[in-house]
Amino acid sequence: MLSTWRRRAATLSTLLVVPLVAAACSAPGSNNNNSNQSNKGPIKIAVADAQSGQLSSLGAWELKGVRLAADEWNAAGGINGRQIEIGVFDDQGDPTVGTNLATKIASEGYIAMLGTAESGVTIAMAPILQENKIPNITSGQSPGLVAVKSPFLFLNGPTSTTYDETLAKYVVDTKGMKSIAMITNNGGYGKGEHDAFLKALQSRSVTPVDDQVVTADQKEFSAVLTGIRQKNPQVIFVGAEEVQSGLIVKQARDLGITAPFAGGAPFGTPVYLDTAGAANAEGTIVSSPYLSNDISDASKKFAAAYKAKFNEEAELHGAKAYDGAQILFTALKNSGEATGEDLAKAIRATKYKGLLGDFAYDDTGVGIFATTIGLIKSGKLVKA
Amino acid sequence: MQVTLQTFIGGLSLGAIYALVAMGFSLVFRTMGLVNFSHGNVVMIGAYLASTFVLSAKLPFAVAMAIAIAVTGLIGIFIERVLRPLENKDFDLMLIGTIGFGIVLEALAIIIWGATGRAVPNPVPAAPVEILGLRIRTYDLVVLAIAAAATALLVFFLQRTKRGAAMQAVAMDHEAATAVGIHVGRSNAVAFMLGAALAALAGGLVGPLLYVSPAMGGSLGIKGFAGAILGGFGSIPGAIVGGLAIGVLDAFAAGHFQGYSELVTFLVFTVIIMVRPMGIFGERTVNRA
Repeated sequence: MLSTWRRRAATLSTLLVVPLVAAACSAPGSNNNNSNQSNKGPIKIAVADAQSGQLSSLGAWELKGVRLAADEWNAAGGINGRQIEIGVFDDQGDPTVGTNLATKIASEGYIAMLGTAESGVTIAMAPILQENKIPNITSGQSPGLVAVKSPFLFLNGPTSTTYDETLAKYVVDTKGMKSIAMITNNGGYGKGEHDAFLKALQSRSVTPVDDQVVTADQKEFSAVLTGIRQKNPQVIFVGAEEVQSGLIVKQARDLGITAPFAGGAPFGTPVYLDTAGAANAEGTIVSSPYLSNDISDASKKFAAAYKAKFNEEAELHGAKAYDGAQILFTALKNSGEATGEDLAKAIRATKYKGLLGDFAYDDTGVGIFATTIGLIKSGKLVKA
Repeated sequence: MQVTLQTFIGGLSLGAIYALVAMGFSLVFRTMGLVNFSHGNVVMIGAYLASTFVLSAKLPFAVAMAIAIAVTGLIGIFIERVLRPLENKDFDLMLIGTIGFGIVLEALAIIIWGATGRAVPNPVPAAPVEILGLRIRTYDLVVLAIAAAATALLVFFLQRTKRGAAMQAVAMDHEAATAVGIHVGRSNAVAFMLGAALAALAGGLVGPLLYVSPAMGGSLGIKGFAGAILGGFGSIPGAIVGGLAIGVLDAFAAGHFQGYSELVTFLVFTVIIMVRPMGIFGERTVNRA
């Protein structure tokens, strides 16, 4: 009997990891409201994002951005007199969970979806949303989103191609740095960054001195960074999410690497700054469509409202989600609360002056094509 | 050569953390024959408690760690107390119970501290030590020293104290132990408490190295569990060697196989386990399960 316990425990241990992961997934935040969609009732908008798991900081920012926009519209009387009702769905950053949610969103009568912040999840959800004619404004930025070619999929920011083209232009053309090392992760975002930045370098006939790929879950970078240190690059490009970017930079400084780091949106977040430490992050080159809350009057107003509502400093992801929500609500207003294809057409036709810039959608679902370069100086992101 | 050594050093510091996690797994397993699946989440709670005392209460790191270890130990006792009615009756339900506790702890962390997570500043801000072109973080040395001290204390407790000997006896044969007057439930409670305290130690130490978030328990728990299995599940020296081995293996795989490192780490792990199913230090004497 004694030895059977061990065997059973061992079998169970392997069997149980799966349900453990799956069970940890049951969404805490999904809002079940089964009221039938009538023309007089509220307009149901789904927000799907990671509200738990490793990418939940993105989900939290996104939701705040959307809430702020929805509350502003509702306080002003809603869309043509109808209130906006937000349903929150937790995708945990997992494409499989995402596809289930897409079906759920369609069956519960939501007319549009905002999110997700993870390109991989959005790509997985896109076919189901397209089939059900539910327009989706995502916060993802992978060029893979454009490759889906869904007429119902829109981005609330530029793609990695824009981020990295701007970055390569600054680093190679403006600063004349030719010795560049790359570290990217093999997740959806990192892969997109890798391909986009490499393409931007190749178009300038620059070959990176080192091109390292890490796993999305990796936390220890001694091997990768020591290899890079020996090649002594002038700048190191990182394509990884906030926390991982922070860990890479922190460990690089501990290993005595002094070269500046360069990257996209994650480098502009407070999570990156905290994880790396302000001293280690000094000099980081960031390509972002929203450098700070002080870039315009609109952003100052947004940041003040955000701070008042959530007692937290606004940042890029909240601003993007806010823009996306504003575009959707504007399209709904202009089209007389259209749904399906008409709503998608209305979004495409919407010209919107947002926090990130002037949105004008093309056929690919991208509405904005510019980012600016910022530098981290004494813990603050300033325009280069 | 330099890359190899630097990789080895990098692997050791996370390996020491995995070793502490593995020790918690093994301690509970050798005493009760139970795999505590909430262990990774207990690590996360320990990390949050330690970081809260450092960041919010502004306590010195060592004091914060001590309080976090004590509080987390109490959580361990609580988990054991709730599961006790199932002891020696239905182990499958008990296993599922620990999984349930894991989910509850993660949900609690999200409710209390939010989903975003936090970075913990390095408590030892001294510059890295440089020897022959190798750079060793001072904090890594602290982590290794504390892990070694914790191991020594645990071994001393198990082998040189009455309570520890009682736990060994329960581990060998709980019915015989009961017959000679050892309180099995209390012994299990001590195992759970020590397991949780080790988890808090691991979590508190790993905070400044990584990033504290509700999801951090997942990968630490799995790597720690793999370390425990690799070393020989239930064996304390095995947990240390296994944990360090997983850390170093992971670091080297990352350098050589890049995006496929995780795959390679666990493939190597699987091969070792196939060749030596009882792990490196598979013990026969304390084989309750």
